Amino acid sequence: MNLRKLVWLEFKQHKSQLISGLLAITLGIAVIVGIRSIAVVSEKAVAINLDNLGANILVLPQASNVDNYYTADIDAPTLPEAYIDRIVSSDLQGVDNLSPKLTRRIKINNKNIVLTGILPKNEITSKPLWQQSGLLGKELITSCASTNNANKSNGYEDEKLKRKVVDSLGTNECLIGATIAKELKLSEKKNIEILGGKFNVSRVLNETGTVDDDRIFIHLHRAQELLNIPGQVSAIEIMGCCNAISEGLLGKLRNILPDTQVTTIGQIVSTQIQTNRMMNKVSLIFLIIIIFVGGISIGNFMWANINERRKEFGMLRMIGFNKATIYKMILVKAFVLGIIGGIIGYIIGTFAGLWLGPELAGLSVKPIPILFVVSLVISISVSIVGSLIPSYLAGRIDPFNNMQEE
Amino acid sequence: MILKTFNLCKKYSHKDGMVDALKNICLEVSEGDFATITGSSGSGKTTLLLSLAGLIKPTSGQILLKGFDLTTASDNKLSELRKNHIGFVMQSFALIPYLTAIENVMLPLAIHNLKNSVCYSKAYALLELVGLENRKFHLPKELSAGQQQRVAIARALINEPSIILADEPTGNLDPSLAEDILNLLRSINKEKKITILMVTHSLLAAEFGNLKIKLSNGELINNFESNNALK
Repeated sequence: MNLRKLVWLEFKQHKSQLISGLLAITLGIAVIVGIRSIAVVSEKAVAINLDNLGANILVLPQASNVDNYYTADIDAPTLPEAYIDRIVSSDLQGVDNLSPKLTRRIKINNKNIVLTGILPKNEITSKPLWQQSGLLGKELITSCASTNNANKSNGYEDEKLKRKVVDSLGTNECLIGATIAKELKLSEKKNIEILGGKFNVSRVLNETGTVDDDRIFIHLHRAQELLNIPGQVSAIEIMGCCNAISEGLLGKLRNILPDTQVTTIGQIVSTQIQTNRMMNKVSLIFLIIIIFVGGISIGNFMWANINERRKEFGMLRMIGFNKATIYKMILVKAFVLGIIGGIIGYIIGTFAGLWLGPELAGLSVKPIPILFVVSLVISISVSIVGSLIPSYLAGRIDPFNNMQEE
Repeated sequence: MILKTFNLCKKYSHKDGMVDALKNICLEVSEGDFATITGSSGSGKTTLLLSLAGLIKPTSGQILLKGFDLTTASDNKLSELRKNHIGFVMQSFALIPYLTAIENVMLPLAIHNLKNSVCYSKAYALLELVGLENRKFHLPKELSAGQQQRVAIARALINEPSIILADEPTGNLDPSLAEDILNLLRSINKEKKITILMVTHSLLAAEFGNLKIKLSNGELINNFESNNALK
């Protein structure tokens, strides 16, 4: 018999009290872990995409939500594909490439998939990361030099030819993001049915750490046909020359596409960073709430438990337990409560992040081990601090008064 | 002399003024005594017992337990003294409801830093002594009142105390069970040479003691000189 065993036996006796005592701290930790899991991935995605995205201008329908660049095209309202012709025929200077997309969420084998129709060469040319993964050989030059130099470096002699959309992905072929390939157990040359259409996997894309890992890419026109949205796209990505952007390319695009939102990645990424900052602030607010509410909740639970066991503590004092030993008993219990709350909170929060990350932010969230340590530290600290006053009061229980009650 | 008091007084404040619970109590208890404290309700029996255990501070006077002055000792010292030298048997048994009989008996050893196997064998031996070795895994609610009091007595013995302080140990028991418990206490007193100081209402129970202390309105009716004569 020792103090730890005594605490353990008491835990076993009061399981239901234990659950209610743990509720606030567990939920608090879960919320913090959930938000942080998504925020960390989102921050990483911003960084990766800033490094790797080639296209720097996005044309979206007026009603689209541009809070998140990487998911702005998903389930967005549409604009006519013919707008590409309008851009091409406008003779605008500084538009290096165009990449129209149509994106919708679908289900395959009960898994949520983001299906994106692309006109592939443009998509590929506008994403250096894909080139690095060996998808297509052509080297991209995102010129900030003069427009003419950029044209030459891209190998185009004819201005209009440069802007042509090249269709090189077969209508029965698809490209699969790394995460989805794993989930659906797909590899190259395998067949997959998408919305009733048969497709052959022409390539599994390397992992990019972006939302593209969760996408299946098919030919834009096949996507329009399967989704029954003919002649429409969700977004048009444009590689614009930096000089041209600074010389008012966005305004010119808005003039020829009046019912659209024309924005730069910088603007949208800035919105995303603000969203991340907001999530961090929410985490901080929850941290403060958990310190107060969790601490008070644990303290209240401890005090109720001590009150219920007044005779027991009186008897322990009578048989020689000193005040320090009583404090130790309560604080060991608080420590164990903190560990349990931290572990359960981390597990719930992580699963919530894994589930809600793709739903809310379109991001694949992975468990973050360091948050486990943080959860334990917060939970144990809150639990012990919340138990200090009850333990002090428990040590002051008069032994004899309690022994005389019956 | 294991226990000695000099002019022990205890006053309680009350809305009507100060109440004298104990008045100039002087007594001596020798090692191996079976002392009984009797008196009517409110005579100060339990107050005297709790003072002798260091659980309440007397207003004035001195208490010496094994030569150690309880009236000037710190709370930690008093806890140490109770841990090592005093066993308690209470009217309400004071067993922890979620611990089995043997765990209740082992409980005082939780602060003695002993190996679990040592604790267990000591507790088992004491359960054998009180005739409950086959009930060792029973919870208090699964034991009769007499059995619960036997477990409490075993618990009081586990720290090998110099003195057992018993507060109405038979108060919740019917007469035949009460006699069993009193016989058990007497045999412990005789065989283990443990001093017992027992508060009781019962004159029959008082007859088990070799030293009889009577209180009335907080005063000793037979002072310790006359007690010594009684021995």
